[in-house]
Parts: sequence; structure tokens; C-alpha cells
Amino acid sequence: MYYKFSGFTQKLTGSAPTAAYSPQGLRPGVPAEAPAMIFASPTKLVSEAGTMAEYIGPNRVPDLQRLFQTSDGVPIHLKRGVPDRLLYRTTMALTIGGTLYCLVALYFAAQPQNK
Amino acid sequence: MAHQAHAYHMVDPSPWPLTGAVAALLMTSGLATWFHQHSTTLMTLGTILLLLTMYQWWRDIVREGTFQGHHTPPVQKGLRYGMILFITSEVFFFLGFFWAFYHASLAPTPELGGCWPPTGITTLDPFEVPLLNTAVLLASGVTVTWAHHSIMEGQRKEAIQSLTLTILLGFYFTFLQGMEYYEAPFTIADGVYGATFFVATGFHGLHVIIGSSFLAVCLLRQINHHFTSQHHFGFEAAAWYWHFVDVVWLFLYVSIYWWGS
Repeated sequence: MYYKFSGFTQKLTGSAPTAAYSPQGLRPGVPAEAPAMIFASPTKLVSEAGTMAEYIGPNRVPDLQRLFQTSDGVPIHLKRGVPDRLLYRTTMALTIGGTLYCLVALYFAAQPQNK
Repeated sequence: MAHQAHAYHMVDPSPWPLTGAVAALLMTSGLATWFHQHSTTLMTLGTILLLLTMYQWWRDIVREGTFQGHHTPPVQKGLRYGMILFITSEVFFFLGFFWAFYHASLAPTPELGGCWPPTGITTLDPFEVPLLNTAVLLASGVTVTWAHHSIMEGQRKEAIQSLTLTILLGFYFTFLQGMEYYEAPFTIADGVYGATFFVATGFHGLHVIIGSSFLAVCLLRQINHHFTSQHHFGFEAAAWYWHFVDVVWLFLYVSIYWWGS
């Protein structure tokens, strides 16, 4: 296996033997020193990216992780409290009400029409 | 969270499969009552219930993956297989429309005038707006790759900008297709040409809208710091889907717009 330094990903990547022995894009005068080898970049959380992290809003993921990882026996779809319960009850009301309405509508649709 | 000795995700009991099934019942019954009694009540109820189910189900998946850490590497592998199978099924969905198109166009019947495009059909010029659409979708394929590399390198600002650009290109494509439909010199009722043209390009347009929505959700999640440089499968799935939509367009362009005209 031959390697070359990729200018795009800044990592070592596999390459053909010819490309490894005659690398392209070397500037004259720059010593042909191999850059520090990086085999895999560590996980970089956006919160660790410094000033970049504040671009359009701060990172609230750790707070939400704490909230959703508390073991209180509440199922995932209700874990955020009132807004979740409101949405869930609206959806369930529509489900039950809609089923009953649907059965009635289908019953009437099945009756012969008098003209 | 209780400790578990394996890396698999044991899901909580969820109401969403039930509400989704009822939404499907309301929508099919709604179509019947719409067609027979001219009442759109059931159809509207079904659509609202479906939208509520979609929102809450996917919201819960984000909670399980990003906030509870259930999407471990083996779970992500399952998600990958699922997305691959889904896109494969979509490929066969479009294959059917291409089959219909080539069935009608390779050996045109005497009723069509024995030629393709059929007698009396004025086609769209493939080197005007359709070519621009091709360039727009190819460019969006580049920007989505740019967004992926930005996310992998933790470049938050660049990821947001390139993802926004991708979504704008998607909207531009939809806008151009809308204009083409509006100005088309034939309709879906114009025999097999109109039928195959509008069914194939129409379903493709629907998929572009779905892909743009998927990418828009990814943009919101990127803005909310959900993606890390190592874990961003939601985005990767959206990018796969986007590339699939792009490839379908290339086949549509070459077959229906270019060869077919």
C-alpha cells in the first residue's frame, strides 16, 4: 500500500505507487518533508469549534441531552412536558374522532341512494 | 437511562404507527367520499393527522438519536441498510415509468402516426430550460458534497452556507419546472406522450420537493448543533436521496426531453 498526503482532507490517503513517488503540486524550494501523519481525526463537536460555534445561536444540545436522558419513566413522545402532551392529545383526539367519523361516513356511503 | 449490556436500540412503545395507520384510513376513505359525495372533510382530517404523525414521529427519532444516544454504530448500520433499501425501491418505482415511456416510444402505434413524438405534439426544446435545470441539479450535487465535507471537518459556518445554497438550488429547479409546466404546449390529457411525460416528470418533481424538505430539516438540525464531524447520518441519508433524485433527472433529461423530442 502506498500513501500520499491529500491537500483536500489534510490526511494521508491511499495512492498508486507512481503518485506516491512523484507527488504532484510540490512547490520548488520547500523541503520535501512529510507532514505529521493523521490517521483519523478525533470527533470534533461543534461546541468545541470555538467562535464558530456561536454562529446563528448557541449550542443547546448538552442541555437537551440532560433533559431527555433523565430516567423518569416518561415515554419519549411526552418527555418535553406540556407542548408534547398538547400535541399528543390533539393527535389522539383526531385519531379517535376521525375513525368514528370515517365509519359513519362509510356506513352512509354504503346505503343505496334514492333518486 | 438504565444501563444496558448491548449496543442495540430497544424502542419505547409509540403511538405513531397507530395514528399513521388511521391517517391512511381517513385519506383513502376521504378520497372515496371526495369523489362520490364531493366532501373534502375526511381527506382534510386525514392529511392533518398524517402531517401531525410525521412531525412527531421524526421529532422522536431525533430525540432518540441526538439527545439519548441510541444511534450507536450497529444501529446506524441498520439505518444505512434501511435507507439503501428505500432508495432501491424508489429506483424500481421510476423504472416503471421509464418502461411505459420506452414501450410507447420505441415502437409507436399507428394511432400515434407511427412516429415519436406523436403526430400533433409540439415538444419542449431540450436545450432551453431543461438544460438549465440539468445544470442547476448538477450544481446542487456539488454544493451538497461541499456541505458534507464542511460537516466532516467541523466547519459550521460553511456547512450552513453550502446547505442553504443546495436548498435554494432545489427551490430554483422546482420554480423552473413549474414555469415549464405552465407554458407547456401539451397537457397530461394529450395521449400517451402527455401521460408518460407528466407522470414521470411530475413524480420526479414531487421527489425534488421531498428532497428539498429533507435537506431543509438537515439545515435546521445543523443550525441547532445536532451534527458532529463523526455522526451525521440524517444528513448523509438526505444527501443520498438528493443524489438519487439528481440521477433520475439525468435519465429523464436524456430519455424524455432529448431523445424523445
